[in-house]
Amino acid sequence: MTENLANLFTFGNMQFLMRGVAMTLLLTLIGCLTGLIGGFLLAYARSSKGNLLAPVRWGAMIFVEVFRRIPFLVTLFLVLYTAQMILPRAPLFWVAVISICLLCSAYMAEIVRAGMESVPTPQIETAEVMNMPRWRITWIIVLPQAWKVILPSAVSYMVMFVKDTALASQAGVFELMFAGKALVNRGLDPLLVFATVLLAYFAISWPLARLGQWLETRLAHRHTEGGIR
Amino acid sequence: MNYNLQFGQIAADIPYILSGAWPTLWITFVTFFLASSLGLFVAMARLKGGVVASRLAGLWVTLTTNSPLFVVLFFLFNGLPEWGILLSPIAATLIAFIAISSGYLAEIQRGGIQSVHRAELDAAETLGMSRMQTLRFVITPHVVKTTYPALSNFFIFTMLGTSMASLVGVNELTGRAIEVSSRNFRSIEVFTVVALTYVALSILASISLALAGRIFFRVKARIM
Repeated sequence: MTENLANLFTFGNMQFLMRGVAMTLLLTLIGCLTGLIGGFLLAYARSSKGNLLAPVRWGAMIFVEVFRRIPFLVTLFLVLYTAQMILPRAPLFWVAVISICLLCSAYMAEIVRAGMESVPTPQIETAEVMNMPRWRITWIIVLPQAWKVILPSAVSYMVMFVKDTALASQAGVFELMFAGKALVNRGLDPLLVFATVLLAYFAISWPLARLGQWLETRLAHRHTEGGIR
Repeated sequence: MNYNLQFGQIAADIPYILSGAWPTLWITFVTFFLASSLGLFVAMARLKGGVVASRLAGLWVTLTTNSPLFVVLFFLFNGLPEWGILLSPIAATLIAFIAISSGYLAEIQRGGIQSVHRAELDAAETLGMSRMQTLRFVITPHVVKTTYPALSNFFIFTMLGTSMASLVGVNELTGRAIEVSSRNFRSIEVFTVVALTYVALSILASISLALAGRIFFRVKARIM
C-alpha cells in the first residue's frame, strides 16, 4: 500500500494530473461562456413574436428540447463520428469543445429563459407601448434584472458541466479523467488513482457549488432589500 | 468526405438496439425509487437527527453531489477489485447511481419538507388532527406538490444518466449502440437512432409524469 502510494504521488504524476485539471477547467469554461451566449440567443429567439419568426422560434425550441434530452455521452459520440466523417483526422479537443458547447447552450437557454420570465410583464408591456424595439427592451430592461436569477443557476449548472466533461475522456480527449485512466494503464493502483481523481473533481466542483449557493442567497437578499428601483 | 449515410444497413439491428430501452428503463426505475427512499432518510437525518446524524447527512450530500458519477462508477468497477471486491457491471452501476442520486434527492426532499409552514401544522393541531392524520392530510400533500416538478425532472435526468452504465459493460441502449456500431461501423446511423430513442423516451416520460401529477397530485407541471 505505501509502495503504491509512493509510486502514484511522484512529482511527474502530479504534474500530469494537474494538466488534466487545467484541461477540465478550460473545457468547462469555454462551454459555459459559449453556453451563456448561445443560451441567450436561443432564449431570445424562443421568445420572439410574430408569424414571420415562427420558424426561428420552433428551431430554437427543437434545438433546446433535443439536446436536453440526449445523454451527453451520446451527443459526444455523435459529434465525434460526424466530425470524423467530415474531417478524417478531426482534433479530439475540438470535438469535446463542440459537444460541451451544444450541451451548455441547451441547458443555459432554459436558465436564461427562466431569468427573463422572472421580470414582471407590466414593465415589458409599458416599454412596448412606448414603442421600444425588442432588443432594446431586452438590453436595458430585462437583462439588468434577469442576471440576478440567471447567474446563481448558471454557476450551479457549471458543477454539472464539470462532471460531464469527464465523459470526454471516453472519446480520447485529454482531461482529468483521461489522465487518471492513463496512469492506471501505466500500471498504477486503480483504486488510488481513481480516488485521487475523485478528490480532484471534488476540489473543483465543491467551491463552485458553494459559490452558486452564496450567489443565490446574496442576490435574492439584495433583490428584496432594494425594493423597486 | 466519402461516407454515405446508410440507414438500410442497420435496419436488421434496430430491434435489438431499441430493446435496450428495457434495461435503461428498469435501471432508471430501480435507481429512482431506491435513491428517493435513501434520500428521504438522509433528508430526515439532516432535519430531525441529532448533531452527529445531521452533520453526517450533510457530509453525504456534499460528497455525492460534487462527485462525477462516471468517475465513481470507474472507481467501483475498476478500483475496488484491488481490495478483492469484484462487482458485476450491473451491481457497480446500481450502487454508483443510487449513491449519487440519493444526495440530490435528499436535497429536493429537504426543500419540500422545509417548505411546510409552522402555521399549517398549528392549524392541523387546532383542528384536533392526530400525528398520522397531519402527516397524511397536511404534510404529505404539501411536500408532494412542492417537490413534484423537481422530482420528475430528476427522473428524466437519471434516465439520461444511465447511458453511462454502458461504459462498464451494461448492455442498455447506449451499450447496444456501441456494440452494434463496433460490429458494422455504421456509427453515425446507430447513434442517431439511439439519440432519437432517448428523445422519444424522455418526452414520453415528461408527458406521463405531467399527466400523473395533474391527475393524482393536482400539480400543474409544464410538459416542456
